[in-house]
Amino acid sequence: MKFLVIPAFQEEARLPAVLERLAVAAPDFRVVVVDDGSRDATAAVAKRAGARVLRHPFNLGYGAALQTGYKWALRSGATLLVQMDADGQHDPDDVAGLAAPVAAGELDLVVGSRFLGVGDYRMAGLHRLGRDFFRALLSAFGLRLTDPTSGFQAMNRTVLELYASDMFPSDFPDVDVLLCAHRHGLRVGERAVRMREGTRASTLHAGFAPIYYVYKMLLSVWAASSTGPRRREGA
Amino acid sequence: MTSEERLEELRRLFLEAPESAATRVLAIVLSLLLVTAVLWLVRRRTLREEYTPIWMGVAFGIAALSLVPPLLGWLTRAVGAWTPSSALFFFGELFLLAICLHYAVRLSGLTLQVKNLAQELAVLRGELDSLREPSGERP
Repeated sequence: MKFLVIPAFQEEARLPAVLERLAVAAPDFRVVVVDDGSRDATAAVAKRAGARVLRHPFNLGYGAALQTGYKWALRSGATLLVQMDADGQHDPDDVAGLAAPVAAGELDLVVGSRFLGVGDYRMAGLHRLGRDFFRALLSAFGLRLTDPTSGFQAMNRTVLELYASDMFPSDFPDVDVLLCAHRHGLRVGERAVRMREGTRASTLHAGFAPIYYVYKMLLSVWAASSTGPRRREGA
Repeated sequence: MTSEERLEELRRLFLEAPESAATRVLAIVLSLLLVTAVLWLVRRRTLREEYTPIWMGVAFGIAALSLVPPLLGWLTRAVGAWTPSSALFFFGELFLLAICLHYAVRLSGLTLQVKNLAQELAVLRGELDSLREPSGERP
């Protein structure tokens, strides 16, 4: 059973278009919208579009919303899950391509990368610096990914079981959870996707947020790399 | 007398200066008040029993230090402080730091529990929705 999880917070305006396009591009997926305590009509518009809606009683964060989707999918017998953002920055037409390596059993986790030649995504100075930094950090652990902060991902049940555990962060699950999956011996790879400027990337722009983000990420990368099992040889 | 000897003499004066009776009485009253407050809070069910030992310990410590004066002098020498009051401040701040860290750990645990509960609630509500729908998907 294939699931598509969309965490959404205050997305009544942009969500309907995403769901509409998904109904055409990925009709074989069960769409689950996790409403992270929105005060607007996010849940209502999602329900109207035919999605299963899971509502947090209050705002828990992007990571927690994703994880609620994972927990739901696990209980519902999911074998494959694709996650994408509600703001329209991810292209529903890429869902099938992203899921293909997981469905074929080639990879456990696929990250959609906007830097593999498809589309014309442009990144501003500081954000770009951050991306390069995290790329280098991951490659130091033997994991080569061009877009480690991408929220457009596909995964199988083994990854879901890992991500449904308490190690998964409530705020930004990025390089730290990728590294954790890598260290658990899971096969992590990437595929090219198109991406437009999103809102989630804005956490890397304003005020002290980027400094805290980098600090927090370094700390969780350290925690992920100093705990957890070592990568299985030949896995 | 060299300046080093003078300093040592000064330090001895500080250390051996008798504690004023007012300070001792105040400390004893304070520790009694603390014990009373803890008991009262437990009785009102505002403070859980498992959080009381540490505060009882603090009250007992304050009382012991004021009832047995050599104790504070010994502590002061042990940490190399000049005056008993600075030794007290040192241990007081150390204690506050430790308790703040302890509460941060407790808070992290509670945050995780609240998140897991809220997620469970969302999933259960979703399951309820699907059961209510005539042709809904069954998880």
